[in-house]
Amino acid sequence: MIGIEIIIPFVSLFLIFIFLGFYGKNWRKGDLNNVHEWALAGRNLGTTLVFFLIGADLYTAYTFVAVPSGIFAKGPLYFFAVPYVGLTFAVALVTMPKLWTICREKGYITASDFVKDRFNSLTLSVLIAVTGIVAELPYIALQIVGMQAVLTVMLAGTSNAQTVEEIALLIAFVILAAFTYTSGLRGATLTAVFKDILIWITVIAVIVIVPLNIGDFGHVFKEAKPSYVTLSDSLVPAYLTLIFGSAFALYLYPHAVNGVLSAESARKLRTSTALLPLYGVGLAIMALMGVLVYSVPSAMNFLSGFPESSRGILVVPSLILNTMPGWLAGVALLGIFVGGLVPAAIMAIAQANLLTRNIIKEIKPDMSPRSEIRITKISSAAFKFVALGFVFVVPATYSISLQLLGGILIVQILPAVFFGLYVKSLRKQPVIVGLIVGIFSGIYMIEAANNFGPPTSSLLSSTFGPLYIAVIALALNLAISFVGSAIINRTKISVKKS
Amino acid sequence: MQIKARHVILALLIIIPSIVNLSVPLYNRSGPDLYGLPFFYWFQTVWLVVCSVFYLIFSQLVNRRVR
Repeated sequence: MIGIEIIIPFVSLFLIFIFLGFYGKNWRKGDLNNVHEWALAGRNLGTTLVFFLIGADLYTAYTFVAVPSGIFAKGPLYFFAVPYVGLTFAVALVTMPKLWTICREKGYITASDFVKDRFNSLTLSVLIAVTGIVAELPYIALQIVGMQAVLTVMLAGTSNAQTVEEIALLIAFVILAAFTYTSGLRGATLTAVFKDILIWITVIAVIVIVPLNIGDFGHVFKEAKPSYVTLSDSLVPAYLTLIFGSAFALYLYPHAVNGVLSAESARKLRTSTALLPLYGVGLAIMALMGVLVYSVPSAMNFLSGFPESSRGILVVPSLILNTMPGWLAGVALLGIFVGGLVPAAIMAIAQANLLTRNIIKEIKPDMSPRSEIRITKISSAAFKFVALGFVFVVPATYSISLQLLGGILIVQILPAVFFGLYVKSLRKQPVIVGLIVGIFSGIYMIEAANNFGPPTSSLLSSTFGPLYIAVIALALNLAISFVGSAIINRTKISVKKS
Repeated sequence: MQIKARHVILALLIIIPSIVNLSVPLYNRSGPDLYGLPFFYWFQTVWLVVCSVFYLIFSQLVNRRVR
């Protein structure tokens, strides 16, 4: 049972969070009945705000819950998240300013808008919208799992913990849906800055306080977990493909593109992207908590009160609760809680844009701007509750692999979006076939790798060792897209000649 | 298109940090450690800061030429 000194800062900071969410409506005033005003905050966020907004997109419950949990349970393999962050911004620096420039010129709001014009294909654009919407759902679900972890730790030892937790989550989501509806990306950006301040307080507090409870790091690795010192050679292929696949997937997610397009200029976008790896240092420190916790007896003792399968996701909240003074624990726990809530809002905004612009509007082209914005707002609320339902149904233990599942799907739009920007010879038919083959082979491999049971692993054993399925499916997809386009181009040239 | 020294420098600023990120055997070792933290962990963390330096030079070079 936790004390009032934790509850007071937690609740009062959450009230400030709610206020900022609604206040966003009046911040940098714009006509919020206009989609690009509501969804892209009028496209005028500068270097710092883009840094915070994309930072909020990227450093989420994935950082605080999924990565430490993976390291806690499986060891150094999950530290791949650190080089992945380093690599993903290289990918972003090469592709995103170009995408930004084209989208600004043509008034595009989503990656699907770009693909529709580039390939002159409605089919491809709709497929990409659907892939984006579906791939985003498990990512939102992961955010909710992170929020659940905070509540579970806070409610430990109370009666009716489960019911209270579900009601609390539902209330948080109703509030989130309400302020996203009224404030759009402006609300999300303001709350993102607030969230990031809390999170950096948390990270710094963890850096200072946890080592004080441990003394020497060497002790942990020598005594508690000697197998965690380095990655076993058999896992190197898995590590490499996880870095590669995740780094290329990240900037294909609709919420990442949405964040990019809200930048004021390509120059500011470049500068803030270049600075974003620094944010990954916080991620690396959180990831280390998955190992260091083994040397904190109070936290291990607390964790032993939970079923083994759910201990991983509770690592960081438990460490906070058991090592920090009460008021600071309250601040840090709220940081992690809203660290799931803010990204969930941005992701749902991005999904709603895709649904309205690239699917519904194609069916009903005569839709008025007024109903377009209304449908976007309503569907952004609806998507949040779909993800919430998902979490209540799927056991949390599996939710950790959710982000990797989403990655397998979203990376399949890479040929159309990234190569579509640079390679003029790509044709729509092979890109469509490649996308479909990539998605279905990816789903099949996931099923096969898990013996058609619950999806807990996203690695497939091969002659090269275990590989991240996203990369295998992407290789198939790229081969089809490029070989197919080459064949079509050659036939066209020979037809012209004859 | 003529390949200029400028383009080579820009490409290297992206490629060098990325190759290091993907060279798992390079950093998959236990020592030298930092306050007891194995090389594997601290090197990758410090490398993030180095990546940022490379990327900042890249972005400032591009920004000087392009709008």
